[in-house]
Amino acid sequence: MILGKPLNEDMNLRPIKYQWAYDLYNQAVANTWFPHEIALGEDLDDWRKMDEDEKQAVSFLMSFFNPGELIVNRTLALGVYPYLKAPEAHLYLAKQMWEEANHCVAFEYVLETFPLDKEKIFAQHLEIPSIKAKEDFIARFLNRMSDTTLDIESLEGKREFVRNLVAYNIVMEGTWFYSGFMVALSFRQKQKLKNFGSMIDWVVRDESLHLKFGINLILTILEENPEIATAEFAEEIKNIVIDGVNLETAYNRDLFPRGILGINADYVNQYVEYVADRRLEELGFEPHFNTVNPAQWMATETDTLELVNFFEAQNTKYEVDNRAHK
Amino acid sequence: MLKKIVSYGGETRELSLPDLENKLVAAGQKSGLGAEKIKAVAAEAWQTLYENMPEREVDKALTQSAAQHIKDDPNYDKLAAALFLKGIYWEVLGVDSNDDNFSEIYRSGLKKELRAGIDKGWLSSKLQRFDLDKLVALLDSSRDELFTYAGIETLSRRYMMRDEKQKLTEVPQYFWLRVAMGLSWNEEEPDKVAADFYDRMSKLYYISGGSTNVNAGARSPRLSNCFIMEMEDNVDHIGKTVSDVLKLSKATGGIGLAVTKLRASGSPISTNNTFSSGPVPFLHIIDSAIRAISRAGKKMGALCFYMENWHFDFQEYLDLKQNAGDDYRRTRTANTAVYLSDEFMMRVKNDDYWYLFDPQETPDLIDLYGEDFSVRYQKYCHLAEQGEMRVFKKVKALDQFRQMIVSLQASAHPWITFKDTINVRALNNNTGTIYGSNLCTEITLPTNKDNVAVCNLASINLVRHLKEDNGKFNIDWQELEKSVRLAVRQLDNLVDINEPPIIEARNFDSHNRAVGLGVMGLADMFEKFDIAYDSAEAYELSDAVMEFISYQAIDASADLAQERGAYDNFYGSRWSKGFVPLDTVKVLENGRDIGEKSEINVSFRLDWDKLRLKVKQGMRNSTLMAIAPTANIGLVAGTSTGIDPRFAQIFSRNTLGGKHLELNVNLVNKLKKLGLWEKAREDILASYGDISGLDYIPENIKHIYKDSFSVDPQAFVEVASRAQKWVDQAISRNMYLATREIDEVMNVYIKAWEKGLKTTYYLHMKPRHSAEQSTIAVNKSTAIGKTGFGAVAKKAGFGATVVATSAELETAAVPVEAKVEEPVQFKACPTDPQERAQCDSCQ
Repeated sequence: MILGKPLNEDMNLRPIKYQWAYDLYNQAVANTWFPHEIALGEDLDDWRKMDEDEKQAVSFLMSFFNPGELIVNRTLALGVYPYLKAPEAHLYLAKQMWEEANHCVAFEYVLETFPLDKEKIFAQHLEIPSIKAKEDFIARFLNRMSDTTLDIESLEGKREFVRNLVAYNIVMEGTWFYSGFMVALSFRQKQKLKNFGSMIDWVVRDESLHLKFGINLILTILEENPEIATAEFAEEIKNIVIDGVNLETAYNRDLFPRGILGINADYVNQYVEYVADRRLEELGFEPHFNTVNPAQWMATETDTLELVNFFEAQNTKYEVDNRAHK
Repeated sequence: MLKKIVSYGGETRELSLPDLENKLVAAGQKSGLGAEKIKAVAAEAWQTLYENMPEREVDKALTQSAAQHIKDDPNYDKLAAALFLKGIYWEVLGVDSNDDNFSEIYRSGLKKELRAGIDKGWLSSKLQRFDLDKLVALLDSSRDELFTYAGIETLSRRYMMRDEKQKLTEVPQYFWLRVAMGLSWNEEEPDKVAADFYDRMSKLYYISGGSTNVNAGARSPRLSNCFIMEMEDNVDHIGKTVSDVLKLSKATGGIGLAVTKLRASGSPISTNNTFSSGPVPFLHIIDSAIRAISRAGKKMGALCFYMENWHFDFQEYLDLKQNAGDDYRRTRTANTAVYLSDEFMMRVKNDDYWYLFDPQETPDLIDLYGEDFSVRYQKYCHLAEQGEMRVFKKVKALDQFRQMIVSLQASAHPWITFKDTINVRALNNNTGTIYGSNLCTEITLPTNKDNVAVCNLASINLVRHLKEDNGKFNIDWQELEKSVRLAVRQLDNLVDINEPPIIEARNFDSHNRAVGLGVMGLADMFEKFDIAYDSAEAYELSDAVMEFISYQAIDASADLAQERGAYDNFYGSRWSKGFVPLDTVKVLENGRDIGEKSEINVSFRLDWDKLRLKVKQGMRNSTLMAIAPTANIGLVAGTSTGIDPRFAQIFSRNTLGGKHLELNVNLVNKLKKLGLWEKAREDILASYGDISGLDYIPENIKHIYKDSFSVDPQAFVEVASRAQKWVDQAISRNMYLATREIDEVMNVYIKAWEKGLKTTYYLHMKPRHSAEQSTIAVNKSTAIGKTGFGAVAKKAGFGATVVATSAELETAAVPVEAKVEEPVQFKACPTDPQERAQCDSCQ
């Protein structure tokens, strides 16, 4: 059983029971990067030429991403890590938590470099209802996890764990973040914020692993605890994902009051629905929205091998951990 | 439904979807896409329109909608290119090609543009020497249609002229003519020569290097792409070097900087009895200097350090590109290369020790090469063992080499280059030792404190010199000869017009007249000949083509010498003794004993004896050939870059100009003929452009269309080795390796040395995993064989659930094996919502 209170006998890594968790850990280590590897000088030039709507979009993204990374971290620390028995899962979570911290510092680095109104950005996630609603959504699930009366061995405890997992991993990391990444990468399509785009490449690469871990974990729990997956509970989970989409839709309307070249709120929301359908299918559901991906250009951004002119753009494909793999 | 937009004229008007579709009619006809698909492009753009969107942005949105489907069919590329061109016409001419007077407006605009450029002081008044009426008549706007989308986008972003408000002032044909005129105004018959140059370039037969494209015709023409310099071991010269680096970077040149002379850390400083901090802090200053120069996005400040690996501080040098550690001991922007001697490579092969010295104690090693270097180096090693050197370090040569390879894998640096091969083969060895190569490792020229080497580049587009006859391709040797000879003339003209920004560079340029003619489109040509990159036929073809180009280029330079005189330093050079590049291969072979029979092929086909006699009489240029990477002009030409293989059948290229998708059109055409394209389209994207796992594609096609990581690594060495035989400078040789076994990678580089490569360039490692793909179906649970809520949500039952194995997980994680999951993704019911609508069994 992967779920449960870790006891002393759970402190041996070997024999590894959940190889996928250990493999993800090793892969994550090979992915290590640092924000200072990205030079933002040219992006700063772009920034000066960007119009107010574009700047608003970036600052809005920052308002969500910056605290967002820390919220995920808190969720992992309080709502996930304490309830898993497998040391290999703990290894992965430790690396993921460092990555969340690293992403936070990376966005901090962007905030320090761009002439953004930091006070405003730090305040926005507390003041703008559509951002606050997203944070409250996540906090609601997490608060139940940190309730001391929660019994992880009970049926309801296990269900609570899955709800929280779906909320932070499938909804927040797997849907909301992805919609933000698409918006961030759309600037590179317009030859703007190219180095910021390289940073996002790295963040997306990390998040792809976080999502893999989360989905593996959910599927493993369902497999080991078939009693929790009733039709009723399945319906509830599906609704959590759909609620998440609705929150994102409202948020995107504030993100794009008008629209910028190539992107407006409807467009992003269509993408959100497309991504959410994919997540639903990964959990074993039928797609709910049946929406087509409007952003075919993402093929250039994320679906293909990238050939970099080294002295013109940051190469994000090198790994720090080569020695380990010979 | 209507949407409000702000038209080019500034008034608000309403736009309907049919209006938007109408905007695509002309471009759509040229693309060959059906009406349905054109309408779909309009509908996608329609979605992204917003209130009061400027019409210019509306047109851009249409271009983007077309461009995002390039992955689906090359015809979308034609549509996007046509739309992009239309935008250029609007911007420059104020009309588009639908206008009745378009040709007239296109032609007459040139004079206005030149006049304005001269008046505002951007363009040289020497352009007035031309009979513009004659030249204007040559402008052929239909040649604008030769470009791919990425090509025209790159050209306009990087090379075409803009005014002070960043508004384009050139259409593509003005651009070609400006470059042609800017390189022929010293000719006796400037109109005729400009016409010839224009004709070649506008047909994409050859293209000048980037800096020439940017600055040709300018009032102060900075036309050189590459500079090589060295840093002397004293504070004055270090300071001067920083200043020179700033000036050269501003003038759009990439720089190679040799730094072996800088004394070691801890080395005594005689003037004040203190100790040196070693090279690293000074390299950091240079790094900051180039970062400061960004050149308005046209080209970035860029530089590569060269250091010999016997330097006492070599370990710190290797760490310059590590991504962690003290920022003051790193060079985030500047690149690093190592300069390896035969002595070192032999010690690697024999597993001997390698000694590191303080150059202050061993200054003569820097100028020595070949046998002389080895003798002197061994002498120092002996002294070290006797305790007679102030400092030294001793390491296993193999360990140091292994460290370089590990660093190369982890940080893409240092590039590996070979000092002795470069120097022993130099034809201009009468002007001093060559201390390193340049930013792109294709230039090898000598420098000293009074001479900063300059090289001027152009590249022949091989695929434009093919004749098609009944679907079979042949090389059009006559056209190729014409192109080579004109390109050499153009490069030679450049030397007299060029105004390098520092006196040391002008010195070198005027006395040596070094030029570098290269090629692009080699892999594209192989595909057209239906041969694989890693095949004997490909090696033969590269050999023959490069021999021909080299022969013609040398012959053209000898002719120019008769017409205009030899270059100043000709006397005493190997040229003056009747040497051609092939002869220096023999010198190389005789001078080194690599312990086994030579690996370098020395066959030839042409009458070189005849040329040897002619060369003795005089050469116009100290060097003729160098194969540049052509990362940007290759994109403009719409062909494969330099001598690179296809990176993948579909991939994205990340440059200063943004990210572009490249789809191999040769492959698409092949698959279309077999009726396989529609079937293969998504699979090729899902497999990251590697078709080897697609069982329905015939073997002979898979054999030819390998992605770069599937090509036999020895082919990178062999193709370059055959070409290097004929190239008097060097070749930007990228490597692409799937393996991460250090020993295997080391062997590739040892082989490169044995086969006579002078330099290598980037090492591209096959990435082991990427982000989740966005536009094609991905289902992690199917990939790992679990059903999740499927049991209760779809009433299927848990029986299907199995525990994920790590192998299955890998499949989901690593693009290498993405094809393994293909049966799940594509043979089962489609999980992509769009596709699902087309699948009967899912309804």
